[in-house]
Amino acid sequence: MWRKIWTLSLRTRGVQAEHPRLFTTTPGKPEKALPPRPKILETEIDESFLRGSGPGGQKINKTSSAVQIKHLPTGIVVKSQETRSRESNRKLARNLLAEKLDQIEKGEGSRMAIKGARATKKKASAGKKARRKYRKLEEEKGVKGRVEGVGSGGDGMSSAVSGDTGASYTGGGGGEVGPATGAG
Amino acid sequence: MPRLAPSLLRQARAIDVLLPPLLPACRDLRSAENELRWLKDHAIKTGRQCGLAHSDASLKRLVARRARGEPIQYILGTEYFGDLELKCQPGVLIPRQETAASVTHLAQQLSKKRKGRPSDLHILDLCSGSGCIPLLFHHEFYAQPGNEHCKLHMVGADISVQALELARRNQKSQIAAQSKRVTAQTTSLAAMRFLHADVLLSEAANAIHAPIGVVEALQQLTNTRPTPAYEVLISNPPYISSQAFRTTTARSVRNFEPKLALVPDNPSSAPSALDGDVFYPRLLALADQLRTEIILFEVADIDQAQRVATLLARQSTWRTVEIWRDEPGATSDEADHVLLDGGESVPVRGAGNGRSVFAYRGAAAAWLQ
Ligand SMILES: C[S@@+](CC[C@H](N)C(=O)[O-])C[C@H]1O[C@@H](n2cnc3c(N)ncnc32)[C@H](O)[C@@H]1O
Repeated sequence: MWRKIWTLSLRTRGVQAEHPRLFTTTPGKPEKALPPRPKILETEIDESFLRGSGPGGQKINKTSSAVQIKHLPTGIVVKSQETRSRESNRKLARNLLAEKLDQIEKGEGSRMAIKGARATKKKASAGKKARRKYRKLEEEKGVKGRVEGVGSGGDGMSSAVSGDTGASYTGGGGGEVGPATGAG
Repeated sequence: MPRLAPSLLRQARAIDVLLPPLLPACRDLRSAENELRWLKDHAIKTGRQCGLAHSDASLKRLVARRARGEPIQYILGTEYFGDLELKCQPGVLIPRQETAASVTHLAQQLSKKRKGRPSDLHILDLCSGSGCIPLLFHHEFYAQPGNEHCKLHMVGADISVQALELARRNQKSQIAAQSKRVTAQTTSLAAMRFLHADVLLSEAANAIHAPIGVVEALQQLTNTRPTPAYEVLISNPPYISSQAFRTTTARSVRNFEPKLALVPDNPSSAPSALDGDVFYPRLLALADQLRTEIILFEVADIDQAQRVATLLARQSTWRTVEIWRDEPGATSDEADHVLLDGGESVPVRGAGNGRSVFAYRGAAAAWLQ
């Protein structure tokens, strides 16, 4: 259905991969910054916009915001049609590619791995905190004491993760929608 | 339109019961999933403004509208045009991505050489609709380094009062997004004007009732005589022929977008495959009256581009004439020039379908070349 109709190899205006945002969820307890994403060189990628075939302009009004980039040195292809804005999709695709490359390069030490590990740890500690809070409340019924504000677990983290994985990977043009099982 | 495979419908239903009704309009599952997510976000956002309880029912209503083929931009109320998110409303054409690409490319071309370029540029956009062209041109022009001191004087004109109101609302929200510091950029945006005028009305007709002709409307605006000069004239006029409207225009466009914006209203007996060309000779006559040196006109396809280029070649004042494809800055292995009937060779730039005609003459040739 989608047909790649052009390729931008020489860009007149590059898009900078977004600077990694930090999601600190508990104020007062600063988290160590994630290692920066590797920089994507505009000269090393091939960017294409995907749109339907046939006439364009006034005759159709398709939202054609999908962006696909190919990393020339590795051949990795990443696609984003997550948002309605082509410009945001361009940034998302670059971030996604950066994460992928980082993962390949560093494995366990990559941003995604660190983020994943932190998210798991947070969940565990959120559970612990909740239990602690519960115990404290129980104690308070008898003893009057100071209750510390307890930060809410890894909410910020999960949104950061879903924001990053929203766009889809395509391993060189494979099907991007996993078949739903057990339909019918 | 090919029928949707039952397996695809089943697959969609397994993910979300609201997906199958979206499939005919979206065609593929991935797009349907994206659109459903955007509709959900919209239902939640609008639901928050009037009590959360209704967002479920309102989502169903939004899905039903989309399922009937209504463009998603009218349902969500906005469309992205380059970097800008602009308001959309039924009755006014939804801005197209290809238009954004040409306008962005034009802003870049006008910024390549600044030596000899006037410090004030007057830019007129005829058939301005939602106001997308001057608003994006302004944005892209000031995004280029070295343009911060150049003043843009921009005017849009349209026959539709509804379009003019929307354009002014879009201008207001762009103004609100600017920094409060007074610069050439903010002043130019605040000074942008949208006028009620009929492009096809020639001076001779001299209407008493609104809308008046373009030149007259401009004279009223600046209160000067002779007519002020507009170095740059941009237009995305209605360009679909009555024949192409019936055959190659998407049903959703035909059923939901204003025909006034798409097909020139032409009572004459021109053959119906060519009656989409009505605006171009008129635009060129205005370019002469307004002492225009640079033009960018959008067209339907490479054939119409060639017909417009032929009009320009006949005028013999234009130093350079080019045809731009959908993505004028891209490289492609498509033909890099076409031959006109008179034997002139016209360069074709970029990739995709033939999308616009660009030309310049006079003093502009010195700083554009
Ligand atoms: C194809 S739309 C372009 C709108 C906008 N510039 C864009 O690119 O999305 C054409 C516009 O021309 C306007 N129009 C139609 N006939 C006109 C006329 N005789 N004079 C001025 N404007 C006209 C319509 O109202 C519509 O807004």
